[in-house]
Amino acid sequence: MSGVLGLLKGLGVTLGQLPKKKVTLMYPDVQPEWPDRYRGVHKLMPDLCIVCNQCARICPTSCISLSGTRGEDRKLHLETFDINFEICILCDLCTEVCPTEAIQMTDTFELAEYNRDAIYKDMNWLTENGKQHALRKGLSLESTEEAVEQNNQLEGNA
Amino acid sequence: MWNNVLHWVDQPFTSATYLGMLLGGVLTLAITLGAVTYTIYGERKIIGWMQGRVGPNRVGPFGLMQSIADILKLLIKEDIVPAKADKALFMIAPIITYVPAFAVLAVIPYTFHHYFTARLNIGVLYYIALSSISIIGIVLGGWASNNKYAIIGGLRSAAQMISYEIPLALSMLGVVLLSGSLDITRIIEVQQQNGLWNVFPQILGFIVFLIAATAELARAPFDLPEAESELVSGYFTEYSGFRFAFYMLSEYVYLIAMAGLAAALFLGGWTGPFGLGWGWFWYAIKSFLFIFLMFWLRATMPRARVDQLMGFAWKYLIPLAILNLLISAVEKLYWLKG
Repeated sequence: MSGVLGLLKGLGVTLGQLPKKKVTLMYPDVQPEWPDRYRGVHKLMPDLCIVCNQCARICPTSCISLSGTRGEDRKLHLETFDINFEICILCDLCTEVCPTEAIQMTDTFELAEYNRDAIYKDMNWLTENGKQHALRKGLSLESTEEAVEQNNQLEGNA
Repeated sequence: MWNNVLHWVDQPFTSATYLGMLLGGVLTLAITLGAVTYTIYGERKIIGWMQGRVGPNRVGPFGLMQSIADILKLLIKEDIVPAKADKALFMIAPIITYVPAFAVLAVIPYTFHHYFTARLNIGVLYYIALSSISIIGIVLGGWASNNKYAIIGGLRSAAQMISYEIPLALSMLGVVLLSGSLDITRIIEVQQQNGLWNVFPQILGFIVFLIAATAELARAPFDLPEAESELVSGYFTEYSGFRFAFYMLSEYVYLIAMAGLAAALFLGGWTGPFGLGWGWFWYAIKSFLFIFLMFWLRATMPRARVDQLMGFAWKYLIPLAILNLLISAVEKLYWLKG
């Protein structure tokens, strides 16, 4: 008998939900507020990159490929940096491992495209994504330059 | 001429009555398709509301075109037959399931006038007999797919539907006993004469009917034949495109037919309160209440376990249905002498 009452109680609960306010966010029209450490598509600061290749090596799906050349200051400079978002799982390991924080994650996640080539993102796209992200979040664009300067100073001290 | 076309049920067979039958069939099919489309839409909306969501809202105003878009997608999809499937059986199984589902609509008396339904004097028997044929289509589909999930789903479906058909038929038998007729129209007329819907003298039968009907329609909490979490999607795992659409269609047509049957047998069919007119309107409201109950149950109940399912039908529902039959006999003797 208590089982039957339990069934009726359950039915009452679901019926009680009908007039309540719905919690659905009308997504494409209304964007949710993403948390600061949301693991979305990467942004890249090419000036910070020292072409150590650690991101490419730690990547579990091998979706990162990069190349660099030695400049006149005898330092390595980034030339190409590509992430294949067909297989990237946004695991954040490349960000964790990067010694200069040249690669970080943003809150971008809408990657739908009409062909496969279009989701193969290069250095320029990733840099631009970082700029857009900074604009959205109200971060200053100079923060990148400051970081580069700071980095150079640290190297000079060492 | 038009009298013959519209009232073909009572007329001898001529070309005019044949035209009436044909028109009736086509019209019923069109109305059924529309009703199924919006039953699916209604189900998604109501379950969405019960879960704190808004349901379909993108295609057309209030998402009203959502089901139409879904059906269109299914119809233009490629017709895939798995390489190791039994081709002939795989292709005809959905049709075997759908044809009886559509045929049982012939005896559901939506209005008193029977413009496009048959006034069959063995309506209840016809419904039970034909709805059993669909099980063959389901088992065949599961077997012909050559897939373990499909065969388990198909066999579960057969076991469940055959078991629950017995309490379902026994619960209808009480109503038949009270009315003294298998003709669904006559059953409604008797309720009209007595001024009492069968749900009151047959309350036990009605409860058994509701539970057995839920199981017979393979809807939650008795949706074991297509239990997503265990069997992918049961007997139609391998189906896609319009053959899948036919399975879905027959499921929902049965829902509508069962709602019509519940309204006719227990809720007084087209009779409304205070003798108000518009038979089809009252019929629609009563059918909708039954359909709403099915959606409500689906939003509330978890799925029953396989080993509890058969025991519930044989140990509890069938004895209850037989007890109800006894009560009906006593009622017929001393109360509703009719």
